[in-house]
Amino acid sequence: MVSPRVRAAAGLFTLIALTLCTPALVPALNRLHATKPFPPTYLPALEGPRERERFEATRVADLARLKPGYVVIGDSMAGTRIDEHRLSELSGTPVAPLLQPGSGSAFWYLALKNWVIPSGIKPRVVFIFFRDANLTDVLFRLDQQFRWSLDLAALDREDELNAVIARRVGPLQRVHALVGRTTGAEEARQWIEPALVRLPAEWMLRSRRRRTELLDAMNARLGLGHLRTMEAADIQIGDAPGFDFARDVDRSALPLLLRDARRAGLTLCLVRVQRRPTAHGPPPQSPALAAYVGALRDYVTARGAIFHDDTGDPALTLDLYADGDHLARHARRRYTDNLFDRLKPHFQ
Amino acid sequence: MIFHSLDFIAFFVGVTALYWSLTHRWQNVLLLVASYAFYGYVHVWFLLLIGASTVVDYCAARGMEAWPRFRRSFLALSIVSNVGLLGFFKYFNFFAENVAVALNGLGLAVSEPTLRILLPVGISFYTFQAMSYTIDVYKGELHARRSLLDLAVFIAFFPHLVAGPIQRASYLLPQVEARRRFDPERARSGFVLICWGFVKKLVIADNVGVIANKVFALADPTFYILWAGVFAFAIQIYADFSAYTDIARGTSRWLGFELTQNFDHPYLARSPADFWRRWNISLSSWFRDYVYIPLGGSRGGQVTWARNVLVTFLLSGFWHGASWNYVLWGFYHGVLLIVTRARGSARPAARPAAWRTVPQIAGVFALTLVGWLLFRETELGAIVRDLQLSPFGVSELDRQTGVYLFLLAFLYSIPLWVQSVWVELNRDERRAVEADRPLPAWPALALQGVACGVAFAAILVLRSRTSLDFIYFQF
Repeated sequence: MVSPRVRAAAGLFTLIALTLCTPALVPALNRLHATKPFPPTYLPALEGPRERERFEATRVADLARLKPGYVVIGDSMAGTRIDEHRLSELSGTPVAPLLQPGSGSAFWYLALKNWVIPSGIKPRVVFIFFRDANLTDVLFRLDQQFRWSLDLAALDREDELNAVIARRVGPLQRVHALVGRTTGAEEARQWIEPALVRLPAEWMLRSRRRRTELLDAMNARLGLGHLRTMEAADIQIGDAPGFDFARDVDRSALPLLLRDARRAGLTLCLVRVQRRPTAHGPPPQSPALAAYVGALRDYVTARGAIFHDDTGDPALTLDLYADGDHLARHARRRYTDNLFDRLKPHFQ
Repeated sequence: MIFHSLDFIAFFVGVTALYWSLTHRWQNVLLLVASYAFYGYVHVWFLLLIGASTVVDYCAARGMEAWPRFRRSFLALSIVSNVGLLGFFKYFNFFAENVAVALNGLGLAVSEPTLRILLPVGISFYTFQAMSYTIDVYKGELHARRSLLDLAVFIAFFPHLVAGPIQRASYLLPQVEARRRFDPERARSGFVLICWGFVKKLVIADNVGVIANKVFALADPTFYILWAGVFAFAIQIYADFSAYTDIARGTSRWLGFELTQNFDHPYLARSPADFWRRWNISLSSWFRDYVYIPLGGSRGGQVTWARNVLVTFLLSGFWHGASWNYVLWGFYHGVLLIVTRARGSARPAARPAAWRTVPQIAGVFALTLVGWLLFRETELGAIVRDLQLSPFGVSELDRQTGVYLFLLAFLYSIPLWVQSVWVELNRDERRAVEADRPLPAWPALALQGVACGVAFAAILVLRSRTSLDFIYFQF
């Protein structure tokens, strides 16, 4: 007769074993569903195989055709600040914006490496707009919901970026990625998730065309244009606990950005935008952040790039801001004029 | 550190493995170190607060026994220091803003002395738990503990430190003090709770939370969209908070502790009073025992009782956050309770006719939804606007969008409803089974294992792409 305690221990062991083994059936489900296998991801340190957006190769040809004098890379911080037509007018040369709302330094690096450099153009300056510690936080805007936009600028392999991310994520997240790869979870997600999202629409509407129309219309109805001002505001910043430039720089895309720009003979200008000021002056910043920015400036300028910090610029007052750190539409021209004035030597 | 992170899983596995190799005294030392590491993971200075609260309550309780003449003063010391901590970190800006608004309204130009105060997570929970210890010692229901270590473990015990359930000293302290032995059966049931908790958090709460967040971010919601969003939030907050409790209870069982149940399928409540017997039970009973009953409870006339209910619910609402919408939420529930009792429907029959049950449950759920609107919407102007929305004259797109969002939220919440209904239908049988506590037979164990495996697979495949914090962390 087995003692209750031994039996309970065997029960516990069985439970844990079954829990860990059951997900091994997911690949079989994937095969039943007969989706074509996904190509290997370009960021194996972060994720398993998944369906990806196509690389936007047309950007390279577009740049080559335009031959811009200036290129602007960034997210909505750049998008709500730079009026490219005004800048073009002031500088007398075309300006190419390579903007992706909700992007981070990984995207900016890939845009430079895979679009600007292969196009063979020689702009006078390539601007990259960023906030606070974005440049040394390679994981900023690299959550799953943003990865589709990174795909637009990524090739089939991005080994150097992957290596940087691997240094940044640590062993536990690598385990996470490994579980995702071995269980085929990401593959299953690619067909289960859309099926789940479609299901209520299928209950509601029989016609596939009408379902698609409804989902599209609904996305627009819940889109940015309908959000409350502060909800639409892009106030998120990277997760940079205790700003520490020395700790973060070698596990960020910044060294790659600077190296590739230098090799291609391009001048980078890294513009730190001013976050939302107060009614009485510039936004407060901690001594740690000020020290971080000082170290960033030294690092960047020592590697031949230009560093410009908007923070504290008396011309950038609260009335220019719309929501969060975004500038109002009417302020883009003023901001562009101001930036042109501040960086005049680089626009000659 | 948050439960749904690999950091926590590694931390918990490491702590548990080491824990069972130690003697009782060292187990408690490890629990304290682990709890402080867990709590100080993001901001080390949080430890100063919990440490100060522990030392003050330890000294206050010892003082009450050493100098009985000054019992009241020692109790005051404990309450003032805990409420003071809570008041400063949670409510300072709220009071400062409102005083400034009031003075400006009187024509006195005053600028708001707003400080940038970071709210330490879990402060509302552990200060309440600590106060329950000193109050019970004051009332003579508990003797003051000699061991500061045991008391510190009771206050900081990491599984429930950040979001409860709030444990009474009379319930948890004896468990801290008693020798514990690894019980595989208890660990098995804990493991099942943890799996279910993770599914509720990562698959249900975070997915429907995205729907709720989208709707409450809209500047121009219409009737159907708004109420679909409120429904999604109702599912989110229940799945999220009960998930935390389940994981807390499950991890505690691995360490040889039993925490009290905090939720009892509240969306199947048949009256507002029934809802409060099932929702956040530990907080409700805290307010009942330490606010409502000392105020007089149901003794005295109807008016006194109604006043006591309102005061208790207003305080409970305010406990949730420094914002008027929480006060309004508390007031709303207080009024609901008073009205239903006045109508004689506060305590529905134990076994009602089946035809009455469903409408009762649906009615209470609908009333609860109104409460969740007050809870989720922090702008009072938006609450007024939302309550005025009409189901008529809404565009076809908005109507369909609302229905779609409702169905999507419902789809994600099906496991929750199925579990609740199953438990409700088998409530009597379950009680009998739990009383006997037999070991499950092998087929049942295998089924449970597969269910946990499916839960694990669901987490891998269906977890939300947007990871949201536990809602009750902000309180």
